[in-house]
Parts: sequence; structure tokens; C-alpha cells
Amino acid sequence: MQVRLTINGQPHELDVAPHRSLADVLRTDLAMTGTKVACAEGTCGSCTVLLDGRAVLSCLTFASACDSSKVATVEGSTPLLERLRDAFTAHDGFQCGFCTPGQLMSAVALLQRTPRPSRAEIRTAMAGNLCRCGAYEGIEQAVAAAAEAG
Amino acid sequence: MRAFGYARPADAGEAAALLRAGARAMGGGTDLLTQLDRGILPADEVVDLRALGLSGIEHDGGGVRIGATTSVADVERDAGIGERFPGLRQAAGAVGSPQLREMGTVGGNLCQQVRCWYFRHPDLQCWLRGGETCYAQIGDHRKHGLEPGDCISVAPSDLAAALLVLDAEVETTGRRMPLADLYRKATAERRSTLVLEPGEFLTAVEVPRAPDASTYVIAGERAAWSFALVGVAAARFGDDVRMAAIGVSNLPRPLDPDDPAAGLPGLEMTRWKRRLLETLASDARAAVGR
Amino acid sequence: MTAKLVKTEAVVEGRTEVRWTLVEEDDTPEFEDGAPTRPVGEPTPRISARARTTGSARYTVDVALPGLLEAVVLRSPHANARVTSLDLDAARAVPGVRCVLGPGEGPEHAGSPLTDAPAFAGAAIAVVAADTPDAAEAGVAALAPEYEVLGFVSTIDDGFEKQDFLEEPTEHVRGDPDAALSAAEVTVEASYAVPAQLHNSLEPHAAVADWREDGLTVWSSTQAIFDARSTIADAFGLEPDQVRIICEFMGGGFGSKFGVGPQGLLAAELSRRARRPVRLVNSRREENLAAGFRTPAKMDYTIGASRDGRLEAVEATAMIGMGTGGWPFPVLEPVKSVYACPNLRLMTAPVRMNLGPSAAFRAPGVMEGTFGFEQALDELAEKVGIDPIEIRRLNHTENDPESGKPYTSKGLLKAYERAAELAGWEGRDGLRGDGRVRRGMGVASQYWWGAGGPPAYAEVRIGKSARPTVTVGLQDLGTGTMTACAVIASERLGIPAGEITVHAGDTSRIGHGPASGGSMTLASIAPAVRMAAHSVRTDILGLAADMFEIAASDLTLEDGEIRSVDGTLREPVTEVTGKLGNAWISGSGSRGPNPDGMNVNTFGCQIAQIAVDTGTGAVTVERVVAVHDIGRVVNPMGARSQVMGGVLQAIGFALMEERVVDPTTGTVVNAGLEDYKVPTIADVPEVVCEFVGDPDPHLRMGVKGLGEPPIIPTAAAIGNALAHALGVRLREAPYTPRRVLEALGA
Repeated sequence: MQVRLTINGQPHELDVAPHRSLADVLRTDLAMTGTKVACAEGTCGSCTVLLDGRAVLSCLTFASACDSSKVATVEGSTPLLERLRDAFTAHDGFQCGFCTPGQLMSAVALLQRTPRPSRAEIRTAMAGNLCRCGAYEGIEQAVAAAAEAG
Repeated sequence: MRAFGYARPADAGEAAALLRAGARAMGGGTDLLTQLDRGILPADEVVDLRALGLSGIEHDGGGVRIGATTSVADVERDAGIGERFPGLRQAAGAVGSPQLREMGTVGGNLCQQVRCWYFRHPDLQCWLRGGETCYAQIGDHRKHGLEPGDCISVAPSDLAAALLVLDAEVETTGRRMPLADLYRKATAERRSTLVLEPGEFLTAVEVPRAPDASTYVIAGERAAWSFALVGVAAARFGDDVRMAAIGVSNLPRPLDPDDPAAGLPGLEMTRWKRRLLETLASDARAAVGR
Repeated sequence: MTAKLVKTEAVVEGRTEVRWTLVEEDDTPEFEDGAPTRPVGEPTPRISARARTTGSARYTVDVALPGLLEAVVLRSPHANARVTSLDLDAARAVPGVRCVLGPGEGPEHAGSPLTDAPAFAGAAIAVVAADTPDAAEAGVAALAPEYEVLGFVSTIDDGFEKQDFLEEPTEHVRGDPDAALSAAEVTVEASYAVPAQLHNSLEPHAAVADWREDGLTVWSSTQAIFDARSTIADAFGLEPDQVRIICEFMGGGFGSKFGVGPQGLLAAELSRRARRPVRLVNSRREENLAAGFRTPAKMDYTIGASRDGRLEAVEATAMIGMGTGGWPFPVLEPVKSVYACPNLRLMTAPVRMNLGPSAAFRAPGVMEGTFGFEQALDELAEKVGIDPIEIRRLNHTENDPESGKPYTSKGLLKAYERAAELAGWEGRDGLRGDGRVRRGMGVASQYWWGAGGPPAYAEVRIGKSARPTVTVGLQDLGTGTMTACAVIASERLGIPAGEITVHAGDTSRIGHGPASGGSMTLASIAPAVRMAAHSVRTDILGLAADMFEIAASDLTLEDGEIRSVDGTLREPVTEVTGKLGNAWISGSGSRGPNPDGMNVNTFGCQIAQIAVDTGTGAVTVERVVAVHDIGRVVNPMGARSQVMGGVLQAIGFALMEERVVDPTTGTVVNAGLEDYKVPTIADVPEVVCEFVGDPDPHLRMGVKGLGEPPIIPTAAAIGNALAHALGVRLREAPYTPRRVLEALGA
């Protein structure tokens, strides 16, 4: 199927089999391996990207269902994403870093909608992104700090 | 992901035709795709219902109409729902993870398959999947239902519980019915907990009027992102308190507010859930007053 | 510099290894008391942060090479079976399939990872490599296996009954436990059980192998690149130098990724045969069936004590559910080593079960054993009527109770004192309340090794632009070791850590570095890095001395400058390095042996405060105070993160994590992250973390390890807190709503 996507502001035209996930197409066809797949069944949040502004699981999203959509991934560069990068660094919001791309994209979605979230709102919005290393404290502080800096 | 075809028709008739031909209906895909991938539901084709114009929330008079492909997150964020149907908003907020709420649709949430680690096991074919055995009843059913029957899996839809107590009706491509009638016990002949006929799918859910008070309380396995061990919804219209639960039966189940665990004896490994149900029912009742 | 061979002992997760290693003479001066150590001891953000936050960090699963084949494994759906039919040719005939390996096939000089007698659900039977994942899946489907299904053992009790042991049960006796127990004024009997905990590193086990005429390169998600290299070299009859292992970034391991694993062996064999690079990545389900687990255990303790709470004798039994592999983890180590006790009998039975092979999981054995024994000790405290912290102080030991050897350092008494202060231990009974929600506070001690040891080598280079590189033969599984290496080099070179590049995760760059495990990594590599950096510093200052005509001993390196101690000279270090042209200054360092006749251990104490809803059975950990003695702290920011991670994994273990095996089929029913719950951000308590240890006076740099310590006492402290809150003791983890409500009579 022919699919037109705008990824991090860049237009792409792709020919993909209908059952292929957005995560797979990003990683394989576009070599954008920043988006990680850790469970491939919608449970961990590692593959989170923004689809027309919503934080979605790219492992359970057909690329073919995203025609004419805007996709934002960790490879992008926006002032908000840069602020979050700095804050994750300053607050050690990661250990192994495998969940980090998904964490960042969930944080972007949260702060776009709720620029000054409470701690409880941060916890609610980030609860779909598992971090097995347990860097959550730093993640929570980083999201709060990025909001403050905004 | 196993290979299958994909269609995203803009016409309901076309969608229905594809479904009659054996395709699977898809809203957000969050439940469907994991089932396809594990071979629980074999399918050659998936029909995406999201281009049919069935999304949106309309408040009119005292009620609310929610299109079937409205995302769960949009229900949670809708100001009117938050104000007049707080139980429904709480239930929407209790669904899955934030990403699953963004992707998942109201129709898909109401029609999602039961939760049971045997039903969803890729290497076992349980009774509900057309096999001979309810593995749960002879195996490990610590999180299963309390209602005796051929299948002791649990209905997982938080929205279903919240909407049941609001007397919601669902609209499908062919009919309109009380939400309670959307569900029925699977039988030996028909291993499904939904009454939908081939080609039929949900188009909207309607709540006729706002309650005086409503709530939804959930107990999960961790502080967030957990299917309900038990979830209890309650609504009060005047002096009339309605109550319903998920996590106790393979259907969303109305409860008697005065005797919530009636008819739900459980098995030895699930007896603890009766206590949990009683606690949540009592909390829900306190939250709606009277 | 002269090098010599020395014999040294290293304790790896409870097993003592004697090694001969080559070490160089180390004349690096130790830190002086009170002198600045900057930036050692100051918080430093990770040097790899940019790569990790932009998605450019390349993990093994991200490695894509031209012509890459994707491999998929056929796994047994049965807990115990014989494969009676398997159509390898049909799989080979599937379009896009390039290579198929069946049972018994694999590297020439190693046991095949593929079997026709699968002894657990998830055992690998065959593997298919194809142009695309879809083609590989189609190839697997074409194998159409048939099985003769056999009986299985899925519980510890059944395995014990059948007397089916992975290794012979062992008995360890100290003193005369029988006499001491019968003479004891007070006895306590207590039993505890823990389930299998699944690692669930977010990056699955994975390998990409590229077999070429001139050698084999394997990208491996591994905690030990050099062990991976020797395994691969031995398996294929290659010289180690013909094998290159690369692990640039790694998505967690927690003990389950030592060596190269079946993924590496299979990918390499497929690549050898297909003459194409091959990638093999576990699915989440495969991770949870076949990639290891913390062993479930049943522990029984009989404690004999004096009326005032002094331990006289302990008899303890541990039955460990090994599955089909692994080594018997030291579940009874806490009984043996934490307190003074003259008489012991410790019996360990490693039971074989039809479940995958177990693997080390952060403090393997010791965490589970701490969960049991530290709660049993509280039961004794209650029986004799003394405070739980007091009974721990009372039974404190200044020497290793087994060997009598002194410790190089031990800050445990200080840890009790600080933890009690920070937690408000005195007021703990006032917390409990009598309503629906009860609160409690519990304590537990922590004991682990963590000396590290040789061999560990480092090289530091500086060139014209004065942006140094540190090269080490280790891998960073997410703990921050590479950042710590930069911090250590920074202190000697006077150049900010953020300007130092650390090369790691590549066996072709330098000699052996430590595995990432056993809390040994930093303790092993730190002195080597410092020695190498000191050598470079000495050379720079020597050149500067000539250039500026000031004695080298009067010069120092700070903030990118060469300075004289009297303050008259301040020149950028590039004044010296700029003259290097295309040459560079390099220094090498190696880790020396540990002191003879002494034990190196880490110690600590945690206090947990919990709330339990007696109506729903929900347990919430509200606060954890973690006080540990790990010697010198190199990077407090990374150290705190390690503590948070350990505490959180232990909270998962205590409250929600449990592999569930179906009793009727022997298969795992929660082999995914939906039914196997791990903590989310919403489960994180307030954690108060403090390090009380002084730099260890007997170790170079005074650094001990930290990976394991924080996970060890948390679950036991939570168990003790729950008993304190409820007045009822729950004997089996995890403390789910079901177990709590059942304990309360539901």
C-alpha cells in the first residue's frame, strides 16, 4: 500500500505491506532505530511515538493506517524535546536508555496538552512507559523540570 | 505480526460487507492485533472502522451520545462528561495505559475480548476458543471470575461497567439495544460473549440522562496500568442506586447494591475477590451517597 | 613500567575464583585525607546522555547490515516432549528462507542449543534465517512439528519428591548445631517462599553475527564481552583474536546476559552457513520462557537463641527451583555471613524442573535468602521482646563468621544508626493506626561482596586538542560505568568528564575488562583507569616542567589548565598537547590484587514504611530509607540511580512479580508484561538514600561495588513492615491483594 507520512516534519512516501507496524517501518524501511520495540504487544510503551499529536504505541499501529498523518519520533528536534533531553540528562532520567525514546515522546505529548502538570498528572501520563532499570524518579523530576523551564 | 489484509472503508455498507465476508472489525486495534498475532483469532483481513465518521461526543438535553470510534482518551478529557458523568470519566481514566487510551475506541473497549491467561495463551485452545477445556477451572485461576459456568474468564471493560449503571444503549449498524443486551453468556454452540451478528458493528453508545451522582472504583495489581482485578461502578438517580462490576464474571455484571456478592461464590483460589468486591461496592456506594 | 603475574582471589556472586593475572606496578598516589577529589564524589550526568535522548545510541537490536537475515526460533509448546516429526526441508523450501538448523545442529565444538527432547515450554528446537521476518516466520510454520508429550515437573515440591536434582544437595555445618539447638533457651521455626522473578530487561537477548573469511564479528547484548568472545571462539574452534564482540549500548541485563547466549551461537552458525549477516532477537514471550529467571525458593529456618536474643544456632534448608539449568544460588548466604552465630547447619537442594534454565538476577540467592532470614530474625526479636534493630546490633560480627577473617571495612553499625534516624524508627509504633488502612515499618540488613579484582585494564590517551579518550574492555549495561570512568580520568587530567570520550564494548580495542555483574565492575576498573590517567598526567606535567621551567612536582592540572601551585602559571593544557602534532600521550593501567587475609564486603540497611488497605489488600510502599556502605562513591548521581533501581525491582518482587506456571500443562501463563507486572512510575515511593562507608582503606581508590546491594534488603524490610502493620506474617511473596486478603481471613 502507498502511504504518505510526515515524520518529524519531513514528507515520506512509502510502499508497505498492510500488516506491518509503524514501528517496524520506521526501524527497518527508514532506518530510524531510535524508536524501540521491547514487547511488540502494547504493554511496555518503548515504541511510543506521536501520531497527529497523540502518544500511541507504534508496535500496534499499522503504518498503512497512518496515511496523511504526522508522526513525531525521538529523532526529531523541537524546543520542547530539547528541553526534555536536557532535563532527562540533568536528572538522570534513564539508566540503560532503552525505554528513553518512548518516555520522551510520552512526556512531549503530556506537556503539549498540559504545559504545567502536577506530579500526579505526570505519574498518570507516564504510567504506560515501563522502565525496568527503575529510573522513574529521575523521569518524574525531569518532566517537571522541563515544564518549569518552558 | 502475521500477514493479513487491511481495509479502511469510508462507507458503512462496504465495511459491513467485508465483515460479513469474514474480516475482523478494528477500532484502535489494541486488543485485536495482539489476538491476531497470537493466533487467537485467525483473520485474513482487518477492517478499520475509523474512517466511517463515527467519532465524536454530543451532549444534548440531559444525555450524551458517544460515537463508537471516539477514543477513550477523548471521553476522559471531555469536560461535559467530567461534569455530569464523573463515573464514566473515572472509568475512561482507568482503562489500560495512556497510550492505550489514546488508541482504544469506545466501541472497541465495549467489544474487547475477555481477559484470561489461558484464553490468550498462544499454545492452548480453551473452551471459549472452541476447545474442550476451561483450563482456568482446573488450573491457576487466582485472578478469574466468581460466577460459575463453562468459562470463568473476566469481562475487562471499565467503560461497560460505568455505562451499565447509566442505562446506556448501544446503536449498531442494524439495531439499538440496552448495553446489557450486547453481552450474553457464551454457549457450546456459540463461543462468544457478544450478540453481534456477522457484519454488525457498534456505531454509537448513548446515555439518556445524567445521574445525580456516579463513580467508578478499581482495584488493580499495581498503582496504574492494570486491568481491573475488580472494578465497580455506581450511579444514583434520586434514591435509586445502580451498581455493576467487571472482573467478577465473563460479562459486565449488574450487582445488587445491598448484596453485591450474591450469585458470585467464587472458587477456592478466587474467594478473596469476594472481599475485594464487597469493599469496592461499599466504597462506590459511599461515593454516590444514600 | 614493569608488569608481573600475581595470584589473586575474587569472589563472584559468592563463588571464589583464583586467577593468575598480569598487573603493572601502580605508583598512582592515593587520595589524601581531606584533599579535593573533584569530580570524584560529585554528581556527574551521564556522558552518553545525548546519544540516549536522541535515539542515536545503537543497541544490538538496532544493528542492520547489508544483506542482513532475520532468524526466528521454533520453540516447544510443551513442558516436556519428544519431537517425533519436523519438516526441515519444507522450511528450506519457503521463499526467502536461507538457512535452517534443526535439533543437534550448531557450532561444531559446542553443545547444540537446539533439541528434539525439549524439557520446558519454550525450549529451542529449530531456527530459520530468512530475508525478512515474515519469511522466517513462514519457515517456522512450515516445520510442522509433531510431539510425543511427556510428564513434567512444575513445582519445587514435586521435583523434591522425585529427588530430581540439578546438582547434588549440599550440607554445610559449623560447630554443633544439634546440641546448640536442643540447649537453646528460645527457638523459632519459620518458613518462607518466593516465586520466580523474570528479568524482563527491556532490550531482549539479541545477537547479530557477521561471519567473514577473516574473522567473526558478533554484536551481542551482553554483560561480558570477553566471556562472550571466549565462548564463541571455543564453540567454533577459532582463536580469540579472530572473534570480535561489540556491545555499544545495552538495554539492561540484570544478570541474565552473561556470555553470548544461544542467540549468539545460533546467529554465528547461521551466518557461517549462509554467508550473510544474521540477526536473532528474542520476542518478549521468549524472554520470559527461555532467557532465565530468579530461582523460586522455599526456605525453612529453625533458630536457637538465648533469652536476650543472641543467636546460638540456625538450621536452615533451601529448596531452589532451578528449572533446567543455572547454578545453585547462595540462598543461605545471609544465614552464614551476616551475623555472629557459632552453630549452623545449612542444606541446599537445587531441584530440577521442566522450566527454562535459571539465570543470575541481581543479587541471586542472597536477595531471596535475605527475604526469608531477615523476617525470621524479626520473628525471633518479637519472641524475645526486643527491638528489630537492637537484635541486629546484638548479633553484629566484626569478623567474617565463617573464616574469622577481618573485613577491609564495615559500616553496618553506622548504617543502622543513620537509617533509624532518617526513618524515624523510634516512632514506628505510632504509625500503625487501627482503621482500614494500617501502616508499618520494617528493617533488614544487607550483605554482599563487591571487591572486584583483576584482570581489568585501561588505556588513556590525549592528543593535540586535549580531548582525552579512555578505553576499557567492559560494557555498560546501563549502570553508568562509562561515566564513572570519565569521572575518574577527569580527576587526574583536570579536564571535565563531559569532554572525555570513553570507548568500551569492543573486544578489539583493549584487553580484558570485568563483566558487568556481581557489583564488581567499577570496583575492578576504577583503579586501572586512575592509574592510566595518572600516567598521562605525569607525562603532561613532565613536558610542562621542561616547557615552563618549573619542577613537575610544583605543577598541577585543573579545569583544562596547567597551573603552578604558587599560582604564577596558568596555561591551557593545549599549550603542551598542541605540540604533539599527530602523536599522542598514552598511559595504561591495570587492576592490582585484593588484600590477602581479608574479606571485602558491602553492607547496608534499609527501612521500609508501608501502608496496607485491609479492605482491598493493596500494599503501598510509602518510603524506603536506604543506607549502604559501598566505600568511596565515585558518582553520587549514578549511585543514587542504582539505589532507586534496586529498590524498585525489589518492590516489584515484594508486591507484584511472580511467574505463574499452569499446573495442568506446565506452561507459563504470564509470559508477557501484561500479566507479569513490573512496577510503573506510579509505584515509586519516596527513597531516602545515604552512603555511610568511608573509602575502603585496603582497596585502591577505596571503591566497592553497588549494583547488588540496594536490591537485597528491600523486600525483607517490606515483609517486616507488613507484619508490623497487620500483626500477621505473610510467608510467601509477592504480597498481592489476594495474599493479603487471604491472610486476613477472606
